[in-house]
Formats: sequence, structure tokens, C-alpha cells
Amino acid sequence: MTSQESCKKSALYDEHIKLVNPSRLAEFAGYLMPLWYSSISAEHAAVREVAGLFDCTHMGVLEFSGTQAENFLNELTTNDVAKLVVGKAQYSYILDESAHVIDDIIVYKISDSKFMVVVNASNAENVIELVGAALSEQSFNSSELLFRDLKSQDANSDARVDIALQGPASIQTLLDIIEDGEFAARVSDLKPFWFTSGYIDGIDTIISRTGYTGASVGYEIYINPQEAGWIWQLILDKGSKYGVVPCGLGARDSLRIEAGLPLYSHELAGEFDISPIEAGYGWAVKFDKPYFVGKEALEKKAASSNMAVERFEFSAARGVRPIRASDAILTEEGENIGSVLSCAKAGERQIALAFVKRNVIDEGQTVGLYYLARNKRQLEQGKKEKVEIGEKLESDILGQKLARYERF
Amino acid sequence: MVPQGLYYTDQHEWIKIEDGVGTVGITDHAQQQLGEVTFVELPENGPVDANAELAVLESSKAASDVYAPMAGEVIEVNEALESQPELVNQQCYTDGWICKIKLSDPDAVSNLMDAAAYEAFITNE
Repeated sequence: MTSQESCKKSALYDEHIKLVNPSRLAEFAGYLMPLWYSSISAEHAAVREVAGLFDCTHMGVLEFSGTQAENFLNELTTNDVAKLVVGKAQYSYILDESAHVIDDIIVYKISDSKFMVVVNASNAENVIELVGAALSEQSFNSSELLFRDLKSQDANSDARVDIALQGPASIQTLLDIIEDGEFAARVSDLKPFWFTSGYIDGIDTIISRTGYTGASVGYEIYINPQEAGWIWQLILDKGSKYGVVPCGLGARDSLRIEAGLPLYSHELAGEFDISPIEAGYGWAVKFDKPYFVGKEALEKKAASSNMAVERFEFSAARGVRPIRASDAILTEEGENIGSVLSCAKAGERQIALAFVKRNVIDEGQTVGLYYLARNKRQLEQGKKEKVEIGEKLESDILGQKLARYERF
Repeated sequence: MVPQGLYYTDQHEWIKIEDGVGTVGITDHAQQQLGEVTFVELPENGPVDANAELAVLESSKAASDVYAPMAGEVIEVNEALESQPELVNQQCYTDGWICKIKLSDPDAVSNLMDAAAYEAFITNE
């Protein structure tokens, strides 16, 4: 348990240990968080049918303000910040000069001269370092560009953390806790990737219709970390009559996999150095912009790659072994075309995101799956622990290719 | 929480010895750590060394090996787990047993922990 001691506690740690035994907490991006509260499958189902509440307070929240903020972000990120309007959010990437993905991010346009950028917890330090290096090359004064980490102690009352409420009942739950009728109306009018701000019980919040579960109705609430426990309890309290439940890391992963959403170091960057284009997010990379960091290298990389992240479905019936990362995806004829990056059980299906030769398989077409050896005994029985693309193998189970994404 | 009369390994297996035959399973602590077990690969009947791989339990998050607490010969496996892997979670000390081993040296149980020692072990782990 020494690993637990070196971990940071999330802003909601005290809430978690009210709900689960501390031994249930696992380390994620340096934070201790519950893997599940009731069970992964029950929490997954709750988000699809009702709503689930997620501790996302580990996410990095950054702020760029000043007259040069927009220009600076437009050079730092792949999507077109100039096209954002106030109240709208944009999915985007930060690359390095060699086009390695540093992080996938969401940019929120708070005002013409203020942007909030939400980054992955595990990458926040790298992003902050990269921004610092970029800033030191250009000499902005504070009215031109001010960069702040809204999770640092110095942010004080401006500090923000992220709590996500996802699923069909999330809107009714939010409307039940927002007393201000105008704010409630603005929240209920939000379209995907729009946000608004207002007060709940005197506490300043930003509510955005975004998320990481594939739920078409889902929100993220940005609030001062001092108030995180309060709003967490309020949402669970008011949402309980609809069946809103807290959701752990397990359901978060199974939901995002089912929806086809990438996780940094699995479907982005990672072992295969997967680019945004290969991940299926070419729309978030604007090659028509005159410049962004990594543009030239990414253009070359995109032109030379024949691989892509694709989504597959296999049975999750009793007796079917769970699929794991690195298991091989085969054509019906048994040719290995790539490997699984992430897999999760979603109801009666196992959904796998795999990095495979692009468009060799059509949607709906049958594929095979080869389980790599998991232990010594399976090796002795002739299972391989490593396979090559192009190699002929025998399928252990059959499945099919799905559309790249699924919305619920 | 930890049943009396069974013996325990530091890998969180339990063994219950009756007439020279040991029934093997995993502990409540282990099943909690593993989460919902969705697949069980049972051993084949035949000889097994102490600490050798015996079975594989797979949950939605991990594949976990089960090791033989003591040496002997596997004489029976719990085939119910093939269709009901969740028994490992629900009744880990009873219906969720994995296999029975005819022990080659029943006295080797002295290498294992009793309930009190195992309880102390998981508290300090």
C-alpha cells in the first residue's frame, strides 16, 4: 500500500471514503480514486439509462487571458480557435514539433480575451511546461497574455475543478438543483459543446454540455475545489430519486470505450505513437491554418500512415474470455491486421478499440480475434505471446467491425 | 470475515483440508480486489507443484493467476464456474471453490497461514 501513500487525494477524497473502503481506491494519474462504488456494469448501465456522477477533479484546468490569448492558443493547438464563439467549447490537440500528441484538450471560450483549457491529469505538467517554454520565447506583458493553472493554490477563488454528470437524467437533476430560473433556462437550452455560467446556492459554476461517456445528454460542472464535496453530495441527494449513482474509474473506461472515445496513451500517442488523424479525429486538425506546432510533421505522418483506430464488437457471453490490450484482430481469412488497444464489457458485448490496417474490414464485416498467451501454461499449450502484422493465425472467437463512434 | 479452519497463502488463496484432499479457492479480499469475475480458466486434472499456476480468473480489469497452495494431484474442478464465474465473487469460500487437490504432503500445510495470521496479513498489506 506504499503506492497509495505517494498518491494525491482528489478534491472529493473525503466523499469517496464515505462510500467505499479505502482498499477499493486505485491510483489513476497520480490520484487515488475508486474503481467502482457498486459494480462496473451497474454504473455503466446507470449512465446509459439514468445518469452517473464522476469525479473528474484530477483534470488539469488552465486559463489563458489577454489580447494575445486567442492567437497564442491558435498556434499551440490543432483546431481553429478563431472559429470559436463565446460560450462554445472545442475539442483539440497540443502536439510537439515532431507531431507527437502531448495531450487532447477542450478549449472553452469564456470571453473574447479569456479561454479555459481542460487537459488530462497525467499530462497537465507536460502541457504547463510546454506552454512555459513557448511563453519564454515570446515576451508578452500581462495585458497581452496571462497564463494560469487554475488548480494551483495561487488561483484561490478562481480555482476550478471538473465534476461530470452524464446520462439522460442529468438535465433534470441539474434543473432540480439550480434555483435561478434564468440560469436553469440557459442550461436546459445548451447544445452539445456549449457552456454557460451561473450560481447554484450562491456558488459560481460553469456548466458545459460535454463529457467522455458518449452520452448525448451529459454535462461537466466546473466549480471551486472547496465546493466540490458540497455539489457532489447535492447532486447525489437530488438525483437519487431518478437513480443517479456515483461512477468509478471502471465504468468511466467501459463507457468511453463503448462510445469509441480515445484515451491518451492508449488510442492516442502511446506504444504506436498514434496521431489524431489515425485516431479518427482529422476534423479537429485544421491543416488550412497557416501554422500550429507540429503541423508540418503531422502532414507527413498522415500521408504515410495506413493504420487507424477502429471499433469492433465481440460476444461477452458466459464462457467467452475477456479480450485484452495487444490481442490480435484478424481478417476472416486469419491474417493479423493489428491489435487491441482497449476493450471493455458493455452489456452482452465486448467492445474493442484496435489499431489496425485502415479500411481492410468494412463496417458489419466479420473479424477474428486471437488471444495472446496470458501465462506460462498457455505458452506451453502453443499460444503465442507476441504476433506480427501480416501473420496468419487461427481465430479464437469471431466478431464484427462497428462504426467508429456510437452515441447514446 | 476470514473463516476459521482454512489455511491461507500470501497470494490470497485458501485451502480446506479433509482426509488428505485440499479444496482450493480465493479469499474474499482477493475477489474484492479483482472485481467482477467474468471468465475462469480451470485447471486440468493431474499433478501440480506448490506455487504452480493452477487457474486464471479474469475480471473486466485484469487477468489474475491462481497458484496451488500445496503440491499434489488435481482430482476435481468446479465446472459450475464455467457457466457461473460470478460464484467466485458471491460465495468465494463455498460454491466458488476452484478445484480439489489430493495432497502429496498434507503436513506442508504448516507453510501456510491460519485465519488469524491471514487476517493480520491483509490488514498490514
